Amino acid sequence: MTWTRETVRAELLKLFQEHAHAEAEVTDKSQIVADLSIDSLGVMEVIAEIEDRFKLSIPDEALRNVETIGDVNRMIEARLVGEGRLQR
Amino acid sequence: MTTAWNPRTVVQAIEDAAASTKTGYRFIDESTDGAEGAEPFFSHAGIERASARYGGALQALGAKKGDRVALILPDNADFIFAFLGAIRAGIIPVPIYPPTGLGKLSGYLENTLHIVERSGAKLLVTSGEIKRVLGTIQAQAPELEKVVAVEGIRAAREDLRPAQISLDDTCFLQFTSGSTSRPKGVVLTHGNLAANVQSIMRLGLDVTDGVDSGVSWLPLYHDMGLIGFVIAPLYHLNTITFLPPLLFLKRPARWLQELSRHRGSISFGPNFAYALCVKRIKEHEVEGLDLSGWRIAGCGAEPIRADNLRAFADKFAPVGFNDKAFVCCYGMAENTLAISFSKLGTGVSTDVVDSEALCTQGKAEPAAPELEGATTIVQCGGAFEGHDISVFSPDDAESERPLAERQVGELRLRGPSVTPGYFNDPEITREAFAGGWLRTGDLGYLADGKVFICGRSKEVIIVNGRNYYPQDLEWEAGQVAGVRKGNVIAFGTMKPHNDRERVIIVFETTVAPEDEKQTLKGEVRKAVQQALGLTVDDVLAVPAGVLPKTSSGKLQRAKARELFENGELLGRSSSREADPVSAIKELAKSQFGFLRHAIFGTSRRGE
Repeated sequence: MTWTRETVRAELLKLFQEHAHAEAEVTDKSQIVADLSIDSLGVMEVIAEIEDRFKLSIPDEALRNVETIGDVNRMIEARLVGEGRLQR
Repeated sequence: MTTAWNPRTVVQAIEDAAASTKTGYRFIDESTDGAEGAEPFFSHAGIERASARYGGALQALGAKKGDRVALILPDNADFIFAFLGAIRAGIIPVPIYPPTGLGKLSGYLENTLHIVERSGAKLLVTSGEIKRVLGTIQAQAPELEKVVAVEGIRAAREDLRPAQISLDDTCFLQFTSGSTSRPKGVVLTHGNLAANVQSIMRLGLDVTDGVDSGVSWLPLYHDMGLIGFVIAPLYHLNTITFLPPLLFLKRPARWLQELSRHRGSISFGPNFAYALCVKRIKEHEVEGLDLSGWRIAGCGAEPIRADNLRAFADKFAPVGFNDKAFVCCYGMAENTLAISFSKLGTGVSTDVVDSEALCTQGKAEPAAPELEGATTIVQCGGAFEGHDISVFSPDDAESERPLAERQVGELRLRGPSVTPGYFNDPEITREAFAGGWLRTGDLGYLADGKVFICGRSKEVIIVNGRNYYPQDLEWEAGQVAGVRKGNVIAFGTMKPHNDRERVIIVFETTVAPEDEKQTLKGEVRKAVQQALGLTVDDVLAVPAGVLPKTSSGKLQRAKARELFENGELLGRSSSREADPVSAIKELAKSQFGFLRHAIFGTSRRGE
């Protein structure tokens, strides 16, 4: 399946919304742990869902520079581009 | 002991095991998908050779016997060979957990720096990638001479110059306890390890040398993964299949798939790991499993909830899981690893007691399960041969008057597994012992010589198997402008639901407008979550003077928890009047306040 920037972003916001603290506001700038109250265990669950949804594999090292949903978005886009699955 | 037991050093165990080319360590990573032979396998002979190369490389870098070397190695194989190599050279490894990212790097660096400083490590070995993250750490730790990337060590071909090692020598330092600002490095000698491995493998699990095999996703910077699955199997020639911890957290099914595929007979996890499998493994993932070979399913490192284990057994019974495989474990790093295990082949045993008598008199009186207020406590077995467990009143400073069976008090330990103390910290070491007994800080009782843990007198908050110190949370919250520094209390509570520990932070503030208070609460939540990487369940703001303190000004966390659980905390306007009669009442109550906390769940703690 191919993705566009808009569908990637919408899908990620939806996935994070499902795991976020009820009162948290989910935006590109949301910090996953600090703002959304998703702890390390929850993060790994979201990552598994992202892998399944986008048919990607995300190595642990790629998570070390991730802080916000925007960071995840850029990482996913880069990987989709690498596989020729992002329409511009 | 029934058969003669010759304690061996870890070094001797590595050398003895080298005769075996059939058993060893197998390393799984994410890309390995069951293709036979595709997974890197190191026989015990290969482990001997690889660890010699890593040890030789550390010596070539200038490390000598007795020097400390900090290890921050996310790759299991690198970590194990560097760890064992250092030990063979007499160099003392100090395992430190790798950064996980997710925006808490500053807190991570601070913690790492404290451990490096406290251990006086001369050398730090890490991956090239993490080396860049560590940045200026070297400039801040005066004794740290070099930060070395492991990639260079992997390629090294230096010969190991073996060191003379005796059972009394320090084997490694285990930094698992203490708050960030004062980490405590538990010293473990080769003698401690030999004694505890004997307890675990021979006396506790009755392992068959060269036959039983294990599967582990446990982090290797934690005692259960490191001692249980790296060191102990060297003594008994067991093949171990290692998975990266993050892979398990991402795909819990992989744990059980590897157990199934490699016919593992032994595996351990904290309570949360079993709960995670129930929650996240899907029906179609269960179908292909065969867990009939899983003889020992150990559970420790955090309070065990019988309900969680029962749900696991129910879910996986159709694919051969036997609930008699559960072994309930009590342990702590200061006792090397294991303190006691429930009897092999019996599964989860519980004691049902009257919670009213438990709370008010500290007595574990048997009760009928259907009785209102009856509470269930998991049994964790008795002391291993050569070791003693006894219960004392927490204020019995010399351990002079052991309490009777079924009397609740502090569990204390004696025996060859007990650490000589904390590295370079005589003051904290003195406080850890009472008349020759190690104070565990856990509250419990003995019945028929078996251990039952009711809670802990330490105020540690345990979430997903990890210990958090309230002081660390409080300090972070106190950094937020608007919060009265030194007037913050963090605690864990099992209320209102008895499923997991909830993290609560209460702070005092002079900010009055409701909307500003809401903003402040949000900032506190964010600051703590960012720094510590855990989820804060609730944040409360109270006016100045409301948080309970002792007459000497110490924060009373247990009291705050009790007020919170009774819904009284927010209604308070002021509270710090010093009435001597109520002070005495408070003291008597606080002893059992911990128990009340623990009772909402079949709590116990192990490590």
